[in-house]
Amino acid sequence: MKIGILSKRTGNFTGKIKSYFESNGHQVSIFNATNLCINESLLENDFYILKSKHMLYLYAGYYLEANKIPVIPDTSLSYTHKNRIESYFAIKKTGLQLPSVYMGTFNSLKNKLQDSYFPLISKPILGSGSKGVRVYNSFNDINPEIEEPLYLESFIEGTHYLAYFIENDFCICEKKPLSNEHGETNLIESDKEIEEYLKKWKSRYNLLFGHLDLVREKNTNRLYVVDAGTFPEFSNWKHEIDPVSKVCNLILKKFQEVIKLDNIR
Amino acid sequence: MDSLVKIGLVTDKYHLEKKSTQFLKYCKNVADVSIYIEEDYFLDFSNYKFDENIFFVKAKGDLVLNLAKLIEQETDIPVINSSRSISLAFNRFLNSVFLRKAGIQVPDFTLNPVGKSPPYKDYIMKNIIDQKSYAFNPQIQKKGGYLKVIDKRAIDESSGRKPKYTYVYFQEFVKSKWEHKVYIIGDDIFYYKQIPVLVNPDKMKSRIEIEKDQELTEIAYKAAEAIGLTICSMDFLRSKKGIYYLTDINSSPNFNYLKNGPKIVGDYLIRRAKT
Repeated sequence: MKIGILSKRTGNFTGKIKSYFESNGHQVSIFNATNLCINESLLENDFYILKSKHMLYLYAGYYLEANKIPVIPDTSLSYTHKNRIESYFAIKKTGLQLPSVYMGTFNSLKNKLQDSYFPLISKPILGSGSKGVRVYNSFNDINPEIEEPLYLESFIEGTHYLAYFIENDFCICEKKPLSNEHGETNLIESDKEIEEYLKKWKSRYNLLFGHLDLVREKNTNRLYVVDAGTFPEFSNWKHEIDPVSKVCNLILKKFQEVIKLDNIR
Repeated sequence: MDSLVKIGLVTDKYHLEKKSTQFLKYCKNVADVSIYIEEDYFLDFSNYKFDENIFFVKAKGDLVLNLAKLIEQETDIPVINSSRSISLAFNRFLNSVFLRKAGIQVPDFTLNPVGKSPPYKDYIMKNIIDQKSYAFNPQIQKKGGYLKVIDKRAIDESSGRKPKYTYVYFQEFVKSKWEHKVYIIGDDIFYYKQIPVLVNPDKMKSRIEIEKDQELTEIAYKAAEAIGLTICSMDFLRSKKGIYYLTDINSSPNFNYLKNGPKIVGDYLIRRAKT
């Protein structure tokens, strides 16, 4: 099969996926910011893997789906994960707990934000992971020159977790607050509540794999979801099962299902 | 006596001051209008109360769109236009994809990394996200008999001091004597034609009202449905072969250009309001 991977990187997990598929006889091309032209030229592959959620790759995903080329994971779902507001409503609909979320310009925040709201954390609306994230301990920390409305979340003080899922396998790690996926983590043997969160999340949106970032609040012991991802690097996956082969086989299985459905239609 | 319909106008300072005065003047006597302004509004996703019968979104900033999204997700109050349709309308690439998927003729398009030329002889390079209130600023080049039009906003956004992205949107240029302009406000539709802005930037100078065109009507409603807009305007170019190509779709048209435009919009919102 001819497989395209939409990814900002050519190495890391993307490189491993490419090698795995190639070693199984498939022809694989990686499309990144330097070689991706979104037009008819993309339609020669059988299906695409949407590894990165940057808008460029989502654009490609929408284009391909409109032209009946399967994209895995689904583009709309990846966008929901990418856009923090869409993600907020998706998590809320699943019945999982979230921190309070606010938006406003510097002036409206100045009028409304009382001391009790802090600490707050600002995040880019279209973002994922810890990139562009900032903590504000008081209103004075906010730059008055910011012109665009800020997206702010209550900063939950407590224990932070990175929780992966690949089909029915979970890997839950404790991590440092605000660290990215690649930071140092400690494996947690079992956490029933986090596992329940993962089950609900993946089943609500029919996800093959992904991750949630969670925080258990120190004072209340409540568990909050603070971020969700469709396609992690699995750099902190600590179980025996090989994430590369498992993820690739799930993708192939999904592709066969999509093709079968299309043939029935 | 029946109480007046309550309309929530979700807007920003620019649209409020420059585009909404006549609308507000008309609504003063027929509706109760509350105004949500992007620059002043504090959006708290877990603490809100809306008692409006309908919301009218007349802007496209991030806070405006997310307020609209909150209302759509958490209430049954109609929102016109929806947050999704506005986002699709201002994203040239995505609306091209969705329009073509719906069977609407749009000029051929491509999204390329900066520096990579499109596969068209005549083309326009446009900004991808047309969310801000600044105008089309074309640089026109003619080389070897071919036309290259570059919108300065596309250069600023992809290669300026602080590039927002590193790729550009190209649309194949369609030669047309006239640019056809269609306004849709619910079931009402209005038709005009004007000299294309590339030929005469003062679009209103040459604008004339034209009679109902059945083909244009069908295309326009199909396009509005594909994007999800109920109030919008569209630009069409007609090729030598007589094909209408949709080149632009706008979720926030200036309805002051229409005779009785503010009244038509106000009355439409009242008809669509939740009872």
